[in-house]
Amino acid sequence: MRCERCGKELTNRIIKINGITYCENCARMMGYDRFLRDPSDIMGNPFAPLDQIASSLMQMSELDFGNSTLTCPKCGMTLREFENEGRVGCIECYNTFNDNIIREMFKQQGNSEYAGRLPAQSAETDITTEDVPQIKKSAKTEKAVVETGVQEKAADKKDIGSETEKPEEKEPVKGKLSLDQLMKADLGMLSDEELEAGIKVAADAEEYRLASRLRDELKGRKDGGSNG
Amino acid sequence: MAEWYLNEGKDNDVVLSTKACIVRNIKGYNFMPRLDDKDCQSLLDTVDGAIDKSVYSGGCAADFDKNTVLKLTRLQILGREANQMSNPDRKAFYYNDDASLSISVGSGEHLTVKAMAQGHDISVYKKAEKEALELEKKLDVAYSENYGFLTSNVRLAGTGLKILYTVALPAISKTEGGIAALTQRVGQYEWMIYPFAESGELADSGVYIIASVNTLGVTEDDVLRRGEMLISDVIKAERACREEIVSSKKEQTSDIYGRSFGTLRYAGLISRSEALQALGWIRLYHDYDDSGEIDLSWNTVDKLTMDILWEPGAPSRKNSQSMNLQRSRAQGIRNILKGDDRL
Repeated sequence: MRCERCGKELTNRIIKINGITYCENCARMMGYDRFLRDPSDIMGNPFAPLDQIASSLMQMSELDFGNSTLTCPKCGMTLREFENEGRVGCIECYNTFNDNIIREMFKQQGNSEYAGRLPAQSAETDITTEDVPQIKKSAKTEKAVVETGVQEKAADKKDIGSETEKPEEKEPVKGKLSLDQLMKADLGMLSDEELEAGIKVAADAEEYRLASRLRDELKGRKDGGSNG
Repeated sequence: MAEWYLNEGKDNDVVLSTKACIVRNIKGYNFMPRLDDKDCQSLLDTVDGAIDKSVYSGGCAADFDKNTVLKLTRLQILGREANQMSNPDRKAFYYNDDASLSISVGSGEHLTVKAMAQGHDISVYKKAEKEALELEKKLDVAYSENYGFLTSNVRLAGTGLKILYTVALPAISKTEGGIAALTQRVGQYEWMIYPFAESGELADSGVYIIASVNTLGVTEDDVLRRGEMLISDVIKAERACREEIVSSKKEQTSDIYGRSFGTLRYAGLISRSEALQALGWIRLYHDYDDSGEIDLSWNTVDKLTMDILWEPGAPSRKNSQSMNLQRSRAQGIRNILKGDDRL
């Protein structure tokens, strides 16, 4: 789950105010300190809960209905319609409902910045589909295959299986660092090739934070960063 | 030319199809929810003028006869949603020879370019991109530096790109906690997985769709790379689960495999649910069958699965109509399997 204001992954405390999920930082910045108080804080003041309820109710009506009349001057779509349907009516709506659209984007994707290709320009990608090797059958299954008398077929499958195991025995590919090396490495010192291979190594090991750091470093270079 | 889903794709024991969808809108027109009929007609004419008729057939959906609608549904150009053919005079569909490449006008966004391939094949992206580039050169598309390509559905704003893998996961579905673990894994890649159908006859089909989510903060290349890493994991996991199930219960799975084939080959009446269950077991045990008695190619298994999943027409409430559907479905399956027997 992400904070709907800043888009950060929620790790510790989840604060839900008027149906919107905030992280602790954002809740503080929005002036919702009272929601962060420990229950023990109000034990000394018996009137505190009543005050809180009253001010929360006042704030709820302000937040829920304050902007509902906001309307796009071009297509006539209202903020309420956008919030209900998740769709906008025209290009101008992006200006009219800018804050709400950004919030929706953060909520869904944790990001609102465009990083894709330009119109009529091809995306830089050379990705191709690689075969996913078949897994080797277990000894039990192999035995069953042989017992039914289809030795030839079993032998074929054995060959396929042994082929798929070969890459593990190979010498480490040039430019490919181990996970441990990647974790300790100064990313600025790695070559593009090492970064690219590293992303796969990190993702395979489910080290997604490392994988995204490597990706960002590589992307920074491609965009004309450290390596020019 | 053979229709796209009859081709032999990679890893088609698990991946039924790979699709790339790119959505675009045209400047000067409101988005679809706020586009009046007059402007909509003008939009359809503008797009029609930009489409290369030497490559594409089709046109305004209002001109399609019933058979064309059925054909386009089966070819997965029309979506499965019941509203796909609502307001046909506000929509147009164009498709190439083998229907692997299509352009929809007015379905949610102004333009949806879709490329499809059987099995695991990420080259669909390049194919869709090539067509999108052509249209971007001819038409003034809605684009902003901050948000990228602007869309009516703000979840698509940015690259406007979705990659979808349709996968058959009978073994993971039958493994306790398998789908939950996979869902978690897919989420780590910031992709999503959902069943082909949430409810109804197809709910237990064991077929899922794995789709990209992010259109902002990522390049097209990031999406493709992440997708390829993810789908490779899914394929390995499904094969490992098949191996585990078969090696621990060889005799039982072999028995269900044979019975499932018998049901499909000889049934006189068959529901979609029953047919898909049988196909799931066949998929699970297919590579382990060493009896030599059942000669069935992966292509046939995939064709049958997709035919049933994309069968046009909503389920009928009337018993007699339902019986007719079951009868014609069973006949269709028998014919295909008979054909495969002869190979």
